[in-house]
Amino acid sequence: MRIFGPNELLEDVVKKDLCIGCGACIYLCPYFRSYMGKTAMLFPCTLTEGRCWAYCPKTEVDLDDLSKRFFDRPYDGDPLGFHGSVKISRAGSKFGTGSFQAGGTVSALMSFALNKGYIDAAVLTDRDGILPVPRLVTDPDDVLRCSCSKYTASPTLSALNQAIKEGYNHIGVVATPCQGLAIAKMRSNPTRIDDFTDPVGLVVGLFCTWALDFRAFDAFISERIDVDKITKVNIPPPPAEIMEIYTTDGKQEIPLDEIRKLVPDTCSYCIDMTSEFSDISVGVLEGRPDMNTIIVRTKRGQDIVDEAEKEGFLVLDDIPEENLEHLMWAANNKKKRALIKAEEDGLINTNQEDKRSYLRLNPEALKNIVA
Amino acid sequence: MSYLIDNNEGARYLLMGNESIVRGALEAGVKVAAGYPGTPSSEIIESLSKVGKEMDIYVEWSVNEKVAMEVAAAGSFAGLRSLCAMKQNGVNVASDFLLHLAGSGTRAGMVIVPCDDPGALSSVNEGESRYFARLVEIPLLEPGDFQEAKDMAKWAFELSEELRQIVMLRSVTRMSHASGNVVFGKLPVSDVHAEFKCDGFVLDPMEGIMTSAPVDYRHTQQQEKLNKAREIFEDCPFNTYDGPDSPELLIITSSACTLYSREAISILGLKDRVGLLKLGTTWPLPPKLLKKYLSMTDRIMIVEEVLPFLEENVKILAAEMAPEIGVKTFYGKNDGKIPMVGELNPDIVVNAIAQTLGIDYKAMPDEYANKAQGVAMAGTPSRELTFCPGCPHRASFWSIHNALELDGRKGFVCGDIGCYTLAILPCGFSSLKTTHSMGSGTGIASGFGKLGGFGFDQPILSVCGDSTFFHTGISALVNAVHHSSNFTMVILDNSGTAMTGFQPHPGLKVNALGDEVPSIDIEEVCRALGARVEVRDPFDLEETRKTINQLIEDKQGVNVLILRQICALSPEKKGKKKYEMTIDEEICLGENCGCNRVCTRIFRCPGLVWDKEKEVTRIDEVICTGCGVCADICPAGAIKKSSVLKEVA
Repeated sequence: MRIFGPNELLEDVVKKDLCIGCGACIYLCPYFRSYMGKTAMLFPCTLTEGRCWAYCPKTEVDLDDLSKRFFDRPYDGDPLGFHGSVKISRAGSKFGTGSFQAGGTVSALMSFALNKGYIDAAVLTDRDGILPVPRLVTDPDDVLRCSCSKYTASPTLSALNQAIKEGYNHIGVVATPCQGLAIAKMRSNPTRIDDFTDPVGLVVGLFCTWALDFRAFDAFISERIDVDKITKVNIPPPPAEIMEIYTTDGKQEIPLDEIRKLVPDTCSYCIDMTSEFSDISVGVLEGRPDMNTIIVRTKRGQDIVDEAEKEGFLVLDDIPEENLEHLMWAANNKKKRALIKAEEDGLINTNQEDKRSYLRLNPEALKNIVA
Repeated sequence: MSYLIDNNEGARYLLMGNESIVRGALEAGVKVAAGYPGTPSSEIIESLSKVGKEMDIYVEWSVNEKVAMEVAAAGSFAGLRSLCAMKQNGVNVASDFLLHLAGSGTRAGMVIVPCDDPGALSSVNEGESRYFARLVEIPLLEPGDFQEAKDMAKWAFELSEELRQIVMLRSVTRMSHASGNVVFGKLPVSDVHAEFKCDGFVLDPMEGIMTSAPVDYRHTQQQEKLNKAREIFEDCPFNTYDGPDSPELLIITSSACTLYSREAISILGLKDRVGLLKLGTTWPLPPKLLKKYLSMTDRIMIVEEVLPFLEENVKILAAEMAPEIGVKTFYGKNDGKIPMVGELNPDIVVNAIAQTLGIDYKAMPDEYANKAQGVAMAGTPSRELTFCPGCPHRASFWSIHNALELDGRKGFVCGDIGCYTLAILPCGFSSLKTTHSMGSGTGIASGFGKLGGFGFDQPILSVCGDSTFFHTGISALVNAVHHSSNFTMVILDNSGTAMTGFQPHPGLKVNALGDEVPSIDIEEVCRALGARVEVRDPFDLEETRKTINQLIEDKQGVNVLILRQICALSPEKKGKKKYEMTIDEEICLGENCGCNRVCTRIFRCPGLVWDKEKEVTRIDEVICTGCGVCADICPAGAIKKSSVLKEVA
């Protein structure tokens, strides 16, 4: 696939308001920086090929290429992506208890991976008030500081780029689907760097339906709540339809319909709900606020999950059939909506020379999803 | 001892026009001199300050031009000959006082010297001071060469004293900054006693009160003074004619254009066909003198720079005299022969004369012009205006630019006059979006900061130098705080009036004469006015950028950020490197992804040079000032700094 540069990144992503601020382009060079959840280009760059364009999850993606590279087969449009087992899980007694979301599976996994040396550093997302802040963690005890969903778009991958610069080469990342896609693009060495070695040791993907625009969310919340007093934000699994904001003064609930207005348009083009390009994906479990859904996709993901269970860091159980069915229905719905929208905008499998695609995928998979 | 106070009568020196004016003032016994720095006028007060102690003259760099004129007026009121100097737009600043001073009149000789800048060589305007002479009804003199600059300056004091009125002696860049031979006269023996007499009859010009009221009486007096000037100008030796008795074309000119016109007539060999009337007294025009020369011919060309000041005034006289002198044909601005924008030069005048007289001559043949342009395009490297190596402004605007880009809400900077005006260009990362007069950036920001009620939500910054802060920035800040405007004023404090040559200002502990004086702390002043004040070192890029981002998040009130770092060319700093800078060529990424030459393509300090052959950056050790900032912008860490001085002033 042909690689383009920063000017095409501006054209394909920034000008179309598709940037989600994942941080994949941050710290690769002096030009892209993140501030308040948004990515800014500080100065123009004249290169015709750049990692910024090549790693961005919103520039052209050939799903077949990526799928073949990571899962040895073309993209088939399975609602949950390529996967092995789907189970339910929670942190085990060995991990202990703390303030985490749902079952605490992600924190337990990252802590375990650091502890056992599967990874030498973990790229996580901390928060400052309600501003998500990327954090590079090497001490397993620091993982919990970054627990809980932030619900706002975060430049987490900027910390991955920094970790690579600092020489870490088995880095674990907790990533949203867009961030996971960027990591997959980066790991496929699109700019053909000669001495490239894959620096990523583990990707734990998060389920995601959308992320909020930070400035919009901040303005919305600041009118209602003293931001400095917020201790945790939570969206309980359906059918609750609320966002819970915990503060030192107690809990406030905001209807999700009001929150959805703060979702940037770019999320409506995303076809991935379950972080398909990760080793392990984790999300909530409908009707069970104390548990997670866990999808294992790769061998190394399976090895870590098995070890974590064996050592008491993770407790696994079978997923109830109706939960799995509903998860697939929801994931497929997200795919379908996004593909129809992108196709309407002429962004799928574009063959014109002067126009780059947003997504490339084989026609059968496309048909399966949209049908 | 300065050669300017050589007391040998007849001594001959090569003097810059501004020095020549100073010598004339010294020969007139000037005792009080004040001004505000501004090219091309600065050498006048500068030179006087150097001889002030020896010649017993009070010299000051005032806070602005209006105050300078007021300070000089006090000298005149107390019986001391006084002078104030400023660049063309300084007269605008002083004009309110000038209007009233012209109404009250003066006592001891007082001269205002504005130095205009046709072509805006060192300005962002080519404003005219001549019109102020007509507007406020005071005499205007314009020297046509360097000897005359001295002689006319001396005479201006005498004229002022005779009229009891301020006299304007106007120079231009090519008069102020070019040099010519000047023969000295005698310096007077100084024996004056200053006293302001104000207990006499209120209307007495020498012992009454100094005011422009009652207006009908004073204004009448003022116009009588102007009539008297007109009479005096009829026989003034500074108005000269050179040419045949009945020329085919009469050129009327003044100031530096005298030299261009003389050269043009000589190049075309028209000494016998074209007459040159050079006027030294350009307002009010002496009608009898004009009548004499206008009668010589029917074709008149007026050669002057920028606006048709002389042309209009001559035409009015010619219209009034038409029954006696006949109908004239005029050439100049109105028919487009002489441009109304920019400086003149002999070539322009040559073409105007040749066209008018139908002579087949081109000052610069097209073929030559094309060839010259071709050679210039191919052979000369392009050099755009930029900040000096190690200039704190480059670092300041780097952080300002980055903060605004990160913020992403279309913030912008309102600027004004100083070296930092260059930030409209890529050297300041094109950060400035408005630039007008001294202090105006903060005034404009004060206005933008009140538009929130109309949906305005862009972050606003203003920038202002330390000298400009005292000049007019401070009043804009007062206005902004009082009206609860919302923006951040960035004071680029480089400890001096750097652009014009480090003249002292109220923030410093020294005055024009080198005496120790109380300094005024900008930080304390801003705090006392009620602004939130932060002080940073612009060479600390990250801290500065962070602070700006925090300040522009503020939704109310006025913030002041003082970015303090001495000018790289200041006498304290010059030649002293803080860091030795080197490049690790192994690490330098050059044009690759990850850098794309950020230091030589974007940051562009002249001390950084792109080595095309090796494809790495290198340091130009000759001009590098060792500020160390580029080490912090290098993404690869290839630019290294190592301390060479333990302490830096």
